[in-house]
Amino acid sequence: MRRVWQVMAAGGGMGRAAALAALVLLAGSGLLALSGWFITASAIAGMTAGVMFDVFRPAASVRGLALIRTGARYAERMLGHDATLRAVAGLRGAVLAGLAGLPWDAMQRLRRGPALARVVADTDALDGLPLRIVLPALAALLAFAGAFALIAWLAGWQMAVWICGAHLGPALAAGGWGLRHASGLARQALRAERDFRSHALDLIAARDDLAVHGRLPAQIARAMAAEAEAARLTARLETTERAVALTQELARIIAMAGALGLGATGIRLGMFGPAIAAMCFFAAMALAEATAPLRRAVADWGRIRDAADRVAPMLEQAMPPPVPAVPALPLRVADLLVPAGGVLAISGPSGAGKSTLLSQIAGLIPPAPEQKITLAGRPISDWPEPELRAGLVLVPQRVALIAGSLRENLALARPEASDDDMREILAAMRLDHLRGGLDLRLGDGGLGLSGGEMRRVALARALLRKPRILLLDEPTEGLDEAMACHVMGQITRRSDGAALVFASHRASDLMRAVLHIRLD
Amino acid sequence: MTETLAGADSGAAKRALAPEWPLLRRAALISTLSGLLWLPLAGSAALALAGLLEGRLPALALASFLLFGALRAVLAMLAEAVAQRAALAATSRLRGGVLAQVARRAALPRAGGFASLVGEQAALIRPYAARYVLAQMRVTVLPVAVFLCAFSTSWAAGLILLIAGPAIPVFMALIGHAAGRASREQLQDMGSLSALLADRIGALPDIRLLGASAALGRDFARAAEGLRRASMRVLGIAFLSSTVLEFFAALGIAMMAVFCGFSLLGEIGFGTWGAPLSPAQALFLLLIAPEFFQPLRDLAAAWHDRASADAAALALDQATAPQARMAGQGARAPALPHSVLVLQGVVSRGVSFPDLDLPAGAALAVTGPSGAGKSTLLRLIAGLEQADAGVILLDGMPLGDGNADAWRAALGWMPQGVHFVDDTLEANLRMGRPGDLTPALSGAAAAHLIAALPEGLATRLGERGAGLSGGEGRRLTLARALHAAPRLIVADEPTADLDAATAAEVTRGLLAAHRAGAGLIVATHDPALVATIGREYRLGAG
Repeated sequence: MRRVWQVMAAGGGMGRAAALAALVLLAGSGLLALSGWFITASAIAGMTAGVMFDVFRPAASVRGLALIRTGARYAERMLGHDATLRAVAGLRGAVLAGLAGLPWDAMQRLRRGPALARVVADTDALDGLPLRIVLPALAALLAFAGAFALIAWLAGWQMAVWICGAHLGPALAAGGWGLRHASGLARQALRAERDFRSHALDLIAARDDLAVHGRLPAQIARAMAAEAEAARLTARLETTERAVALTQELARIIAMAGALGLGATGIRLGMFGPAIAAMCFFAAMALAEATAPLRRAVADWGRIRDAADRVAPMLEQAMPPPVPAVPALPLRVADLLVPAGGVLAISGPSGAGKSTLLSQIAGLIPPAPEQKITLAGRPISDWPEPELRAGLVLVPQRVALIAGSLRENLALARPEASDDDMREILAAMRLDHLRGGLDLRLGDGGLGLSGGEMRRVALARALLRKPRILLLDEPTEGLDEAMACHVMGQITRRSDGAALVFASHRASDLMRAVLHIRLD
Repeated sequence: MTETLAGADSGAAKRALAPEWPLLRRAALISTLSGLLWLPLAGSAALALAGLLEGRLPALALASFLLFGALRAVLAMLAEAVAQRAALAATSRLRGGVLAQVARRAALPRAGGFASLVGEQAALIRPYAARYVLAQMRVTVLPVAVFLCAFSTSWAAGLILLIAGPAIPVFMALIGHAAGRASREQLQDMGSLSALLADRIGALPDIRLLGASAALGRDFARAAEGLRRASMRVLGIAFLSSTVLEFFAALGIAMMAVFCGFSLLGEIGFGTWGAPLSPAQALFLLLIAPEFFQPLRDLAAAWHDRASADAAALALDQATAPQARMAGQGARAPALPHSVLVLQGVVSRGVSFPDLDLPAGAALAVTGPSGAGKSTLLRLIAGLEQADAGVILLDGMPLGDGNADAWRAALGWMPQGVHFVDDTLEANLRMGRPGDLTPALSGAAAAHLIAALPEGLATRLGERGAGLSGGEGRRLTLARALHAAPRLIVADEPTADLDAATAAEVTRGLLAAHRAGAGLIVATHDPALVATIGREYRLGAG
């Protein structure tokens, strides 16, 4: 939680937002308290004829507080939201950087399925941390400190202790109980809600299969059982939240009644007059605004903690710095030496380990102990990641593009590439027919292109990078024979001077290679 | 008036909540009653404070203050409890309805979108029911009651509220619009920021292989910054309009205080009904003034609940609009004794399918270019969608709601792409059928796959069969089809995208089942498979 907060607070602006929020609370309480004092003092002055009473300063102060409260409120909302948005953006950036340092297989697993949605939902949930927990808590503490000082100065410390204590004591007790109680419930409720969502997703994604096997009613029942569990837990969570709210409201009533009683005592002892007593009563009434956000905090705390627990480990890895060093050739795989311009093909049935071998050559997963993979005589696992990435490119079997223009996608590989370079390489991959050219907008993950087109964009991207070692996993899968022939021809021609290693099923691809590894 | 503010889709959430509406009204009544109790509470407090002026604390006023205060707090929580329960019940009911409806459609929505509709979006109805409905009733009653109390005490005090008041409907309209727009845009921005993150995480492996991780971080920070700026522009407007409401509320209280003070001093001699304002009356006016504005602030705070609930209710409504359905319920049934399969004049999605007469146990290869309707034909045969014209006969009986479940119980189904449900591998293979899995697994050459998994059959599979290759998934789908002990196997492209060895294994498994007596309908591009099967049914040949 602390680590998450450090990242979120790095955007700045939190302190100012909290101070303004406290000012809003103090101005609101001050407005009512001063009004109460003013009316009571006027009543006394009206009853005792001949007493000079300055009406204009208090009246002006009342109006002034009304304006301060409004203005501070606006500023606080703007600053608070701005700080939160910065925090949320910063957190997402940090998460992305952290995930970029994940081990290769973990990264692969993450991209598909519910894990990705989870990460996104977690970062969403964490916007509640500044907005609903930290800022209101800081503001309340500051407001109570200010109120304590003012009340103690005007009416004595006994009154200050009572009013702040009667609000803060129950709020802290109920809050402590509520936060502990609700956080467990919220986690369970979230889990049930996620189960429901995943069963509902399965219901539609596997509908045909479920229907053929007569499992449709069973799957609906399974989803609705998770839903009922989520509803039951949510109801309990809401009961906790209401108990906290009830405690706070009763505390307010008791604080106000106590202020009346202490006021009567103070007047009798001559500590202060009725006007100050009335002021304290109104302050006790208005200060409830400071503890009011506790209820929402109790409701959201579980969700936020749950999310923070999962997000925090992602923040530990740092983004690798770019290093422009280039690994040297030759590449050696087992007994085979692939020099500059050499072509090595890997074949074998699916599941034989072609992709694994390519990932090992790319230094993504450690090679088996008996396996010998070296670059310029140095074992592949000894090469630092940044240097490896600078000169070695692997185009995996499943490629993903990013949302944005085709240009942005290509620029990832070589930011300094000119439009002409990009167009030339697209033409070589027979992608020059795409409408919009480099400005073509792609949806999430490259949506809008066919599978074959996406593959060719990925190949174009890899070629644009001009690597010393180019590794391709099933480069022509999903392409028809003529296109496959053309694409492989272009690749072998353009990777002249580099070592080319590819895995393929296609006989015409395999014929282009001088060196072969056959896996069984 | 509030009806017209939310825009064209207003009322969708209210319609969706029709069964719970009486309960919600009751909750709103209790909540309003609790709000009204502020008046006697303020009266007691004013009397007690006036007592202090004379140096004594009236015990009766203090006691009634405590009593009304406690009662008010308890009633408020009771109202919320009733409303929250009703809201939970409504969500469960709506979700159940949508699931049952959509699951039996012929054409299915995208699974991810559907899950978020019944998940997050359906949950948006809750705050509307639990907060907004209560706030709406309070706002129609409480300001009027406070105004009447103030006016009967002093007409000038009533006038102050009236001056601050009339502006309020106007500002509510403004706030409603601005807040609605702001929340929509903010949701959109947060949404696009999330989408951006999801997209970049999805591309992380490729990005890493290109050595572009640092570039990705810069690109993301730039995009996020743009979203933040746009978001703040819109929020600024929304906050401004609610600030105006706050301003009038604060000013109303200040004016009330100043008026009361000056009246008590005798500086103002008008504004009352004859007798001058007493200290108790003045304090009462000050105490009730904030409550004139509070319901409006509550409603403003809950305003976007309504807009998002309406949007969600509308989406749920559209999702359950009547559409073509599959035949039958998709429930378990005793298998139909097979059956000659006959297609007569079947037309679906603009494709007219050649007539067919397939005896029990026969094999058929369905061929044709992509998009010719091979998969559609298989779904028609399984009763997962129904033909626009023509008829499918099973031993002379038309396939329909009455016999579809029993017919499907006789099928072995092998789709092209499989989605394993979130459960163990064993549950995914059994699909609720007891019996020994071994023959089916060995028939599909999948036994060694299971043995290679660390947890064997107990392995939990997520979406898309985490960790399985295409060929492995295909063999498991075949094992699942074989375990159903089918009389007819329906397979969609069983050998596509497989290497030769795996393709041969899958073909062998299918043919073995066929030799054992099962019929076979296979949609395929694979000339070897077509040749083995012998009988060909061509689509889209012109």
